[in-house]
Amino acid sequence: MMNHSKNINNFVWRKLSGFFLLIAGLLSASAAFAGENDFGIASEWQWDTQAPATDMMANMISFHNLTLWIIGAVVVFVSALLLIVIFKYNAKANPIPAKFTHNTFIEIAWTVVPIMILVVIAIPSFDLLYKQRVIPPADFTIKATGNQWFWTYEYPDHGDLSFDSVMIPEAELKEGQPRLLAVDNEIIVPINKTVRLIVTASDVLHAWTIPSFGVKIDAVPGRLNEAWFKANREGIYYGQCSELCGKDHAFMPIAVRVVSDAEFAKWLVEAKIKFAATPSLQNVKVASISAAE
Amino acid sequence: MATDTALDAHEHHTPTGWRRWLMSTNHKDIGTLYLFFAIFAGFVGGAISMGMRIELAEPGMQFFPWIAEYIQGADDPVDAGKHLFNVFTTAHGLIMVFFMVMPAVIGGFGNWFVPLMIGAPDMAFPRMNNISFWLVPPAFCLLVISMFVDGPSGYTGTGGGWTIYPPLSTTGQPGPAMDFAILALHLAGAASILGAINFITTIFNMRAPGMTLHKMPLFVWSMLVTAFLLLLSMPVLAGAITMLLTDRNFGTAFFDPSGGGDPILFQHLFWFFGHPEVYIMILPAFGIVSQVVSTFSKKPVFGYMAMAYAMAAIGFVGFIVWAHHMYTVGMDVDTQAYFVFATMVIAVPTGVKIFSWIATMWGGSVEFRVPMLWAIGFIFVFTVGGVTGVVLANAASDRIMHDTYYVVAHFHYVLSLGAVFGIFAGWYYWFPKMFGYMYSETIGRIHFIVTMIGVNLLFFPQHFLGLAGMPRRYVDYPDVYAGWNMVSSIGGYISYGAAIIFIYGVIKAFRDKVPAGDNPWGEYADTLEWTLPSPPPFHQFNTLPKIK
Amino acid sequence: MSDEKNHDYHLVDPSPWPFLAAWSTFIMAAGFIFFLHDIGSGLIPLFGLLLVLAMAYFWWSDIVNEAEYKGDHTPVVQLHMRYGVFMFIISEVMFFVAWFWAYFDAALFPNELIQELRIEYTGGQWPPLSIRTFDAWDLPFINTLVLLLSGFAVTWAHHALIHDNRKTVIAGLSGAVLLGMLFTVLQYIEYGHATFDFDGGLYPSVFYMATGFHGFHVIIGTICLFVMLVRTIKGHFKPDHHFGFEAAAWYWHFVDVVWIFLFIFVYVLGAGDPATMPVAH
Ligand code: HEA
Ligand code: HEA
Ligand code: CUA
Ligand SMILES: [Cu+2]
Repeated sequence: MMNHSKNINNFVWRKLSGFFLLIAGLLSASAAFAGENDFGIASEWQWDTQAPATDMMANMISFHNLTLWIIGAVVVFVSALLLIVIFKYNAKANPIPAKFTHNTFIEIAWTVVPIMILVVIAIPSFDLLYKQRVIPPADFTIKATGNQWFWTYEYPDHGDLSFDSVMIPEAELKEGQPRLLAVDNEIIVPINKTVRLIVTASDVLHAWTIPSFGVKIDAVPGRLNEAWFKANREGIYYGQCSELCGKDHAFMPIAVRVVSDAEFAKWLVEAKIKFAATPSLQNVKVASISAAE
Repeated sequence: MATDTALDAHEHHTPTGWRRWLMSTNHKDIGTLYLFFAIFAGFVGGAISMGMRIELAEPGMQFFPWIAEYIQGADDPVDAGKHLFNVFTTAHGLIMVFFMVMPAVIGGFGNWFVPLMIGAPDMAFPRMNNISFWLVPPAFCLLVISMFVDGPSGYTGTGGGWTIYPPLSTTGQPGPAMDFAILALHLAGAASILGAINFITTIFNMRAPGMTLHKMPLFVWSMLVTAFLLLLSMPVLAGAITMLLTDRNFGTAFFDPSGGGDPILFQHLFWFFGHPEVYIMILPAFGIVSQVVSTFSKKPVFGYMAMAYAMAAIGFVGFIVWAHHMYTVGMDVDTQAYFVFATMVIAVPTGVKIFSWIATMWGGSVEFRVPMLWAIGFIFVFTVGGVTGVVLANAASDRIMHDTYYVVAHFHYVLSLGAVFGIFAGWYYWFPKMFGYMYSETIGRIHFIVTMIGVNLLFFPQHFLGLAGMPRRYVDYPDVYAGWNMVSSIGGYISYGAAIIFIYGVIKAFRDKVPAGDNPWGEYADTLEWTLPSPPPFHQFNTLPKIK
Repeated sequence: MSDEKNHDYHLVDPSPWPFLAAWSTFIMAAGFIFFLHDIGSGLIPLFGLLLVLAMAYFWWSDIVNEAEYKGDHTPVVQLHMRYGVFMFIISEVMFFVAWFWAYFDAALFPNELIQELRIEYTGGQWPPLSIRTFDAWDLPFINTLVLLLSGFAVTWAHHALIHDNRKTVIAGLSGAVLLGMLFTVLQYIEYGHATFDFDGGLYPSVFYMATGFHGFHVIIGTICLFVMLVRTIKGHFKPDHHFGFEAAAWYWHFVDVVWIFLFIFVYVLGAGDPATMPVAH
């Protein structure tokens, strides 16, 4: 199918670009690991993007691979020229320097060719940009609010459901939970549904991101920023706050679990009961601030 | 005997001792002050970055909690350590940008060589020149003080990043630390504006007879464009940080959403300054590289006019691309598309420069003296850093890389490698002229090779970390990123080691006192400074040179 | 002989003022911050300010000396001054760009849907619902006339200076200074009639900071003109050599132009509909 061939295509790109980087003399030891991404989290010695869990991210990776190839070629080209100069035009090999200072043809060429290369980049770039930022009709909305230093999530289309999501401290991690990434309450979304995100913040800037989804959007107090994703693979996906927000900036991860429709429905029922009972940290914080004043 | 009296009279006018340095109105002395200040700041900023690399060498938190506990005496070392890391990042960025690169290239080399290269006896405003320098140490002191006074409640220092975005820099850190940082920037900015005025006036008005704009050495061109960028961008930063100051202390609401303000406004103002600022740091390096490449290829610069106008074009376009730092703030899509387009345009004039340098060497008779090693190194590392800039320019994929180590890798390739390589190229190229002594070629080479290995090991893996998703400004990271971070830290230690080799070379050169002669580089070092003795007399060109 | 100076540039003697001025600024800045945070006395920044002013005075006295008595200001040095002052004014223009940027960010986008809290503040319009703006055609308009008139007075004085008519120069400059002071007084009175407080959110922020910085520049400009007046009385300036005077005049015109922009964009176009505004108190 379309999607499938795209993925294969993508896979080939990834392999090829990996190969290219290798030739460029970059750290052969790492290459073995490059293909074996776990989904939703980077792997050790990984040197490229995390594996995609949305079509958008797959497109972004293909686009990035295109640019990577191009810039790789530019660097190789410039390096090759430098090497030629070093070997051919050093003082020993070429004792008498030439005198020329102009060559209209070549000057036009090195102006026009980069312009053409940039056009080649720009066309898919704009295409993708508009795909990202023109938000399709969504199945439902999640509102994410960044706080110092945890996230509050609301599901406005599912009644009053809202909860905080706080990093699990190292001492309390369970088997298999990654350090600094695992949270107490994950976002749960059904597979293959378009989810609209509204992102804001209650105190300072934060940024909500899931690398595997190709989403990153700043959480700005007073602003309601929008983003969207449609996950095409079940599993758990991690991200980390991506705008400096103070002391615990590195300790307010984001975790999204993509599940089947049935599981999602089940979770909704349970969550409504569970979170109705727990007060939001955000309110506690606001209360404590106003109490202090 | 007549000459003797003249000499006496001359010495009589030459100030000595502390008067010479504190009350200077001499562009060469002021340039020297700037250079040594920059070296000092480079070591401070470098030491701070070593702190960061020690912490980041392994996952978990080790170094900063330790400092917090044993040096600061904090009761909650882990939390204090987290904040301290941000303080270090902020101080590192600000020091390297405002107190190392800018003083080195503009205040240092600019002051020394703009007048010499255009055949002028001094700068247009010699006394103002001195305050441009002397505002820098107080600014630096304010910044250092800021590290030791209260920032966010309970912790000392400002941890807002060098970009000092509100609200973290307003309500997020109520203590005086941020105010100190803000006023440090005010002073450094005022110094830069005065310097810019001085350079523009000098270059327009004090060229020796026959030195038309189109005969000016490219280094002077680079300083001219840089000065305009400073003049037009710095005041906007001054306005922005004044708004921060009043938001913090006088209850205004420019950036405070609860009063109708907008934190994003600050980002626009900051980057309207900040993007030209990055070209302020790199254009002088472009100029230096042009001089060096031509000298050691024994060939005139290829495409002089294109080189000069490419810099002007970079400067101009540099003013209309600022929001490429803000693709994730939620700008509407057409605005993003415009900034993508405008940003990519800059690759074209920059490419013209890269290829013209190579064409200058092409067919030349290249001698690999130390300055030339740095210049060739510059062309390579700047290309690497520049092309990742083009990747970041695309909003569509910048969304993966923004605020990750990919960005950190990009800007260190153009700054810590690009600009710093340019500085070292200039340092070795002009050292004999400035101080009259030859540096040690061997140590210079070792310095270059060790730096080249160190910085590439340090920053290349950061591309991988960024692509794999490691965010920047993180004191601790998920364990999967451990490998490349270790590599990066090792590269960092090597880089700092290289800086120590550098200083050893400087000390050795001053101890060995090998006379350099007026022109150690031969006939292709054909700009005016090489017609003078080394070091040049206190006042040169008492009779203005005539340029054919 | 090579040691003798064969050019018209001014190689300035070593001077203590830059060094002292820089560290005075440090005292002023550090003292100011401590004062803001209730550490130390408010006298420290004032002391710093006094030092800065003293250094400026000594520095400029040196310049006046060099110009009037030492003959250091050859035509090319005067040309430097022209460039320098012009560039300085450009940098000031860019400083005001920041304030106008803040103003337009607010005035042109009071109602962007994604800016939730801004809409809450503005009520979706500019000027914000809660603000009663000034009537542009009242005091602000008078002030516009006052500034323009003083600009004419300066030009008149300049004209007289070129024709070596000292009496008229003094008359023109005095008029300009008085009008400048009148502007400041009127602006002060206007502020007193404001229906909004300085810390009342976005509108007062952009309004007071933009007009306030302008007012500050008016004061500086008035002082410059006043100094020129004193120097004229002392017999400085020649018909063909009076750049200090011209610089003050340039600066004054710049201040004028900024005001025109403020008047048009903030007072007139940003006036809103008085009928829907909260009543004055
Ligand atoms: C000296 C400093 C310097 C220089 C010269 C540059 C140069 C460039 N920068 Fe960089 N940049 C920084 C310093 C610098 N930058 C800093 C400090 C930051 C981060 C700030 C922060 O957030 O803290 C940053 C961040 C940054 C971002 C934001 C990333 C993000 O936060 O998400 C972007 C995005 O567009 C960008 C783009 C570019 C581009 C397109 C160039 C171009 O000018 C590069 C042009 C050069 C080349 C392209 C190479 C040579 C050309 C050829 C060989 C021709 C052929 C090439 C092609 C056809 C591709 N930079
Ligand atoms: C010119 C600028 C510059 C330079 C040279 C450097 C140099 C180095 N930087 Fe830089 N860095 C920044 C500018 C620079 N950096 C900025 C702007 C940021 C962003 C801050 C922020 O996020 O807010 C940053 C952030 C940053 C981070 C990310 C921190 C984070 O996100 O948490 C890291 C991490 O490794 C790092 C490491 C280093 C290291 C190891 C060096 C080493 O290369 C250091 C070794 C030392 C030298 C190479 C200096 C040698 C120079 C001299 C001694 C002067 C010579 C002078 C004359 C000859 C006149 N830096
Ligand atoms: Cu929240 Cu960074
Ligand atoms: Cu930029």
